[in-house]
This record gives sequence, C-alpha cells and structure tokens, in this order.
Amino acid sequence: MKDLTLKTLAVAVGISFLAACSGDDGEAGAPGPAGPVGPAGEQGPAGPEGPQGPAGEDAPTAGLATYNVVVTNLTHGQPLAPLAVIAHEPGYYAFKAGEPASVGIEVLAEGGSPAGVIDESKEAIQFLDAAPGSGPIMPGQKSENITLVVPVLDSDNLQLTVTSMLIDTNDAFTGVTGYDISNMEIGESVSFTTITWDAGTEANTETADTMPGPAATAAGGGGAPAGFSEVRDDIIDAVRVHAGVVTAENADDPSKEGLSSSVLDQSDRFDNPTAKVVVTRSR
Amino acid sequence: MKLHRLAAFAAVTLTSISAAHAVEVELSITNLTQGNYFTPRLVVAHTDAADLYEVGEEASVPLAWLAEAGVIDDSDSADSIGQNFESVLGPADTDNDSNTWHKFGGLVAPATTLTYTFDTMDKPLLSLATMLIPTNDAFAGLDSIEIPTVPGTYHYYLNAYDAGTELNDELNSLRTDITEEGGAALGGYGVPGVAGAGAPPVMPSMSDGGTGVAVTVGWDAEGNALASPNEVIDGTDGPIHIHRNTLGDTSATDGASDLNSTIHRWLNPVAKVTIVVPAS
Repeated sequence: MKDLTLKTLAVAVGISFLAACSGDDGEAGAPGPAGPVGPAGEQGPAGPEGPQGPAGEDAPTAGLATYNVVVTNLTHGQPLAPLAVIAHEPGYYAFKAGEPASVGIEVLAEGGSPAGVIDESKEAIQFLDAAPGSGPIMPGQKSENITLVVPVLDSDNLQLTVTSMLIDTNDAFTGVTGYDISNMEIGESVSFTTITWDAGTEANTETADTMPGPAATAAGGGGAPAGFSEVRDDIIDAVRVHAGVVTAENADDPSKEGLSSSVLDQSDRFDNPTAKVVVTRSR
Repeated sequence: MKLHRLAAFAAVTLTSISAAHAVEVELSITNLTQGNYFTPRLVVAHTDAADLYEVGEEASVPLAWLAEAGVIDDSDSADSIGQNFESVLGPADTDNDSNTWHKFGGLVAPATTLTYTFDTMDKPLLSLATMLIPTNDAFAGLDSIEIPTVPGTYHYYLNAYDAGTELNDELNSLRTDITEEGGAALGGYGVPGVAGAGAPPVMPSMSDGGTGVAVTVGWDAEGNALASPNEVIDGTDGPIHIHRNTLGDTSATDGASDLNSTIHRWLNPVAKVTIVVPAS
C-alpha cells in the first residue's frame, strides 16, 4: 500500500517536472538582405522546475492481493541474516546456478544485508513488491510476518524470491528465486524448503576476519569489517550449491580432515534444507 | 461393420497418443557442485521394461562400471564389453523397443551446464546417470521420471548416490605405493577407478599420501594385518544409497584422504536437469 502511494507520487512529480521543461525559444537569426533565411538560433536554457504536483490518491484496496511470508531457520547453529523477500513476475531471478553472483547477492551472502538484492530487483520490469526482514532469525526460530502486496491482476502469474545469509559462513545463503505462487486462493498457504547456495564471491576460509557472525566475533573478528568485500577470490566465481562448512574439527588429528584456519566447530555444520518458507495469501 | 469401424477409430486414437509422446526434447544438466566433474551422461528414454538403478537395491554390474569408472559402452573400455550399459540396453541412438539411449559427451565442470536435444521415440520414462569424479563410486542419478509432454520447462534436482560397489577409500588410484591385495592397482572396475577409465584423465586437485578413509592400509576390516603393509582390501558398501559425501582432508601429503575437504565435498542436490518441451 505504502509503495503504491509512493509510486503514484513519483508519477505526479514526473509529470510536473516534464511540464516545467519548456524553455524559451531562441530568436531567429536576422534575415540577410537578399540571400536565404539564416539558421535558427540556439534553444534557450531550460526554465526552472515547476512546483511539485499533489500526491495521487491511494489505489483502491480491492485491486490488491496480500501475501504473508514466514521463514523458519532449520539449521542447528547458523543464524540467518535479515531476509530479502521479493514478489515478481516470471523472468526475474536474483541468482542462477553457474552464473557469477550479482553484487546484491554478494553483499547479502558476505555481509548479510538484504538491501542490495532488493534494490536490484526493483530495476527489473517484473518487479512487483519487496520487503526486508527486520532482523536475524536464530536457529529453530521463525521470522516475523513479512507482507507483500501486489495487484490482483498479477496473482495468476506470480513468483517469489527469498534469500538470507547463513551468518557464520563466508558467503553461504539459503533461498529460492522464481518460486511459483500463482493462483493461490485467499486463505491458502503453500510451504516449501530451501537449500543453501555458495555465492562464489569469497574463499571459504572460515576465518574470524572474513565472516560477520557470532562465531567469528567470539574469535575476535566478525562484524561489518568481516562482511562484504568486493574482492572475489573463491575457487569459482559462480553460484553453486554450498558444500557445507569444513570447520576446524579434526584439523590436527591424523585424518587432517578439518581446516586449521577455521573458527567454526561441529556445531556450525548444516545440511540441506536450511530454511522453510510458508506463504499465505491473506487478501 | 460396426466392429471394423471401432477398430479403425481405436487405431487413430493410438496414433495420436503416440504422436503426442514423440517429442524432441531439450535436456540441460547443470553441475551444482564446486569441485566434482560429471563424466559423459547416460541418458535413457525407456518403458518400464528398463531400469538403470533402484535405490535400496544392489547395483548392477553396468552401474558399477559407470559409477566406478564412468564407463557406458564398449568404446569407453574394452574390458567392459558384455558388462556395460551398452550390453544390456542395445545400440546407442536408436529405438531398442524398451529404450532409446544416448551417451552425451563431454565433462560437465563444476558450475557449468551442457545441453542436448534428443527424440524420446515414444518412450514414457527418462533416466540419467553420471559419475562424479574424483570419487570412488558416486553418481548423480535421475530415476524413471515421466517425460513431460505438455510444452514447457521442467526442472529436476538430482542427488548423489553411492553405488555401493567399492569402498570409499578416497585413495588416488594413480598411486603405486599402495595396491589392492595381491598387488593389483587401486580402483576396482575400470582401473584406475577414481578418475574413471572411460572419462578423460582429469584428476582435479588430487593429492597423495592419504592413509585411506573407509579402509586401513595394511589391515583388513577385522583388524588383521595383511601380508603386505602397503595393500588394502576393497569391498562393497551397498546397496545403492544416498552418498554420505566425501571426507577429504586439508593435507596434500598425508591425512586420511587424497581428496580435499575444502573442495571435493558437496551437499545434495548435486545436479539440476532442465527439460524443455517445445511448443509443437
């Protein structure tokens, strides 16, 4: 609803701006005594911007469909960063296996912020609505109700994208993009689980200074400085299914199975799926 | 007269059903792992008279060849003649009544996709199998899905299975410092097994010096010392089941495994298959 109001406002502003764009015409050159008419003079400078138009009226609610999204963290010990939840028509995708991650996905997967992914989605012509989660989702916990509103006309050709970082990793995120939620009845719910992807934008060193979450913080690192970095140094710069965290377990026993640089332990391991998504159409 | 007419009607109906199944479909496979390659794919359109594998049952010998060595047909390995999928399915790229199958070539590297087009020749079901290398006997499989006939794009996510025909020792089969009992080279079917005899000799990032994961070099499964301290006894760990993943280690010179725990592990799904049925 709020978004729609804003859009109407933007249209109104755009119109008044265009209306203000009529500059003065330049004077025509003086005609020669006997020759042809001279060239037209240069156009004058643009006039000042017109006053902002009035805000548009709220669209009638009868034409809107509302979807509530709740995400459950299915892992043992990996907090999930704030969600990016996007409703869109088919054709848009936030990420694709085998392709390099967008910067928005890189920001989300390395540092946990959903803002970049949401901003990128708004550039897509298929975009309908998006909302970020309000905070992290702890293991075993549910997110708050995240509400998306789209025109009813789009409800028969509707897809959902949900992504969230696993915070105690370098660049793992759980989610799905382009999940079909077309033709849901009011009151109907659908439920599905999501797997974990490796953004491919950061080497999985599992060190304190490359992961933002509490495991890294406990080891003297973590936080924003250990989050997003524009350097791409993974073994492949492409999104694929995450292989799981190696952790430091057994790094020094004869098997040498573990990763000595890791600040993670067995409690940080995960398997697929890592999140459950419940979508309910409430209007 | 009446019967005759009915028969003609039935024939027409059958023909149209059959035409609906005879679709040229486009099949893409995406490798979702970060460090395992896929050997050439065995893709079979078939009736319920053919079956590549069944989870929970012992693997067939042809599947052992595929999962241990990437071998599909005689041209992959002369040693496999009479034991490979070609020997049970019939010739490739033709209608074998119960099936029509293809060997879709090329390795699928991690995070890449290959695409093929083929005629399902009226068969209702589709199966696919491809070995993950480097592993002992892991394969990604799609088991008897119904081939879609309505135009559209269909996605399938594949798990990695353990064929169960070879112990997951994770020892580089090119090593000569360790052998199977009696001095045979490591690897089981299609030695060298880990890389796959039928596959191009790709050994991504494999190291040496591992002491074995599901085996103990120099000892048998009961803890008895072998005659030679440099031998291992292979065995089976079937039936076909969801693979428990590679262990790997972080040492190139010792540790348990010759695989790398930061590269060669995976979580399911390991592959995505996309089938596009074109609008006719």
